[in-house]
Amino acid sequence: MNMSGQTNQPPLLEVRDLSLSFNQQEQLAVDRVSLSITQGSTLGLVGASGAGKSSIARAILQLVKPDSGDILFKGKEIHRMNPQELKMCRQRIQLVFQEPSASLSPRRTVEQTLLEPLQHFAIGDSNFRYEKALHVLDTVGLDQSAMQRYPHQFSSGQQQRIAIARALITDPELLIADEAVASLDVSIQAQILQLIQVLQKDFGFTFLFISHDLAVIRQIADDVAVMYQGQLLEHSSADRFFSGPAHPYSKTLLSFAQGKTPTHRPGDKRYLERSRRKAINSSACLFAGFCPEKMQVCEQVEPAIHAIQNKNQDALEPHCVKCHLYSEVNTYEF
Amino acid sequence: MTTPALNVKNLTVRIDTEGRRLTLVDNISFSINAGSATGLVGESGCGKTMTAMAILGLLPESGVSVRCDGIEVNGKDISRLNTAQRRSVLGRDISMIFQQPATALDPVFTIGQQIAGVVRRHIGGSKQHIRQTMLAALDSVGFSQTEDIAAAYPHQLSGGMRQLAMIAMATVCKPAVIIADEPTTALDSSTRTLILQQLKSLQTLQQTAMLFISHDLNVVRQVCGEVMVMYCGRLVESTDCQNLFSHARHPYSAGLLSCIPQISTTRPAPVTSIPGQVPAATELPPGCHFSPRCNRTEAQCRISVPKPHDEDGRGAACFNPL
Repeated sequence: MNMSGQTNQPPLLEVRDLSLSFNQQEQLAVDRVSLSITQGSTLGLVGASGAGKSSIARAILQLVKPDSGDILFKGKEIHRMNPQELKMCRQRIQLVFQEPSASLSPRRTVEQTLLEPLQHFAIGDSNFRYEKALHVLDTVGLDQSAMQRYPHQFSSGQQQRIAIARALITDPELLIADEAVASLDVSIQAQILQLIQVLQKDFGFTFLFISHDLAVIRQIADDVAVMYQGQLLEHSSADRFFSGPAHPYSKTLLSFAQGKTPTHRPGDKRYLERSRRKAINSSACLFAGFCPEKMQVCEQVEPAIHAIQNKNQDALEPHCVKCHLYSEVNTYEF
Repeated sequence: MTTPALNVKNLTVRIDTEGRRLTLVDNISFSINAGSATGLVGESGCGKTMTAMAILGLLPESGVSVRCDGIEVNGKDISRLNTAQRRSVLGRDISMIFQQPATALDPVFTIGQQIAGVVRRHIGGSKQHIRQTMLAALDSVGFSQTEDIAAAYPHQLSGGMRQLAMIAMATVCKPAVIIADEPTTALDSSTRTLILQQLKSLQTLQQTAMLFISHDLNVVRQVCGEVMVMYCGRLVESTDCQNLFSHARHPYSAGLLSCIPQISTTRPAPVTSIPGQVPAATELPPGCHFSPRCNRTEAQCRISVPKPHDEDGRGAACFNPL
């Protein structure tokens, strides 16, 4: 199902050199990030809290205005769209949030919540809308009796199903899930993951799945993008990533997710007490302070993003790493 | 035989609501020895936190009835203490690490003041001595700049550092028992691993008995030797942690295990989930509470309550175990 190798198809969503800052802070929340998602595939965006994952999602929907860079949806630049085009575009891109109890209005019944997007985009007449709402509710595993109830009358897993139903009701082409299963119990998380996978087959949407949990990403993603302090450090197929990531930060992240402390990495305490980089233009790799494979050049020059090639794998698969280790070699072994 | 550090006998918690009496914790017994860690696992609302609060005596008195044949810490019963007696026990003999350090810590006092407060109450001594003990506690959880951390307010620390400060506060008096209630659920995975290792090494070093509450079996596996699986207020399986992972006997335990997504080099098969959902405490089915969701249900499961397999309360409470 991995589609990242098919280079002939234009990506559904492309982000180019996106930068974003808040409140005139020197620190960029998103720092020159480029990524793309092929139609029908799932990109898992990983990183610790504060890495800028959600900021990218918000920029894609133009909920925040990026400082610079382009976001292309089906080849069209989102920030150059007029209000009418943007409205149409938002109908095609929908979002599921982390906390279902906070993202559903407590004063609206499920019916009101589900009908609102259809009314907003003026889709169909009232009969059509009601039937559509019933249908979507059914696909997420809730029955008709749910329509007249309020969010607080549901468990958190059911609330998340309602939030997913609300996102799917406009038949989006791109679904963005921002930590959509992070606040759920493992058993409920499993149910929602199962549901999402079935829905993606049925609806055929492209999926940007944001999570800090690599085990969840492994379940669901075709491609993986790793963020650290606003920058994209690695972008590859999921199979390649999980059989051995290239960037030292990705390696650290993966071994933590497997419950191992990377033995080669000094200074665990410093890792927790880390503070974010002070200046925008400090010309060093952001991870240099914690990197086990740090070289002299890492503290002086910011690495560029290199396309690399694994000896054992298909040459068509793009694999990008922002690290000096790969600046001279374009193949590596693990 | 040595006295266990924590011994809970036949604990039952009921609440009165809307004219009905609901059983939230149903006659559970367990013990934890000094230096060992036991996990308490289950879904939200199964009674894990209720169990912890009942052990500490932190539940409100009105509308809640806590019954037990004793909650012993190093052989001393703490279930029938008055408020003043309880205050001298909590934090010294038994302490708790809460899920949300951001809300459990007081925002208007520095980390140092809050930890020193615990030391002053339970250990005492000169100002100098209290401060030294406080700084030593911060050092023991792995902070290198202890003076800076002591002078910081909770909001100035990251989530992971706050949780470390919380652990320092819970362990400063070297209690016999620590109850950790979902201590890493609010943290991301890299911070989680570091915190768990710090907590584990401190617990081993101080030979503390730990009750570790979590909904995540993967986390429990990293920390605990023993594990108890709870469902609708009852313990359904108590066993050795490795044993549970290799051979879970209760269908509910097996279901929980299959929900955990795994990291593998090839794309894993989709996770399976337990069909249905946890019944509300007002609508508990008779017999085994898990029977409506279980695929191994027999006639007797719907009528009578299964007993634990072993005499000492270990094993699976199931008529038809795997």
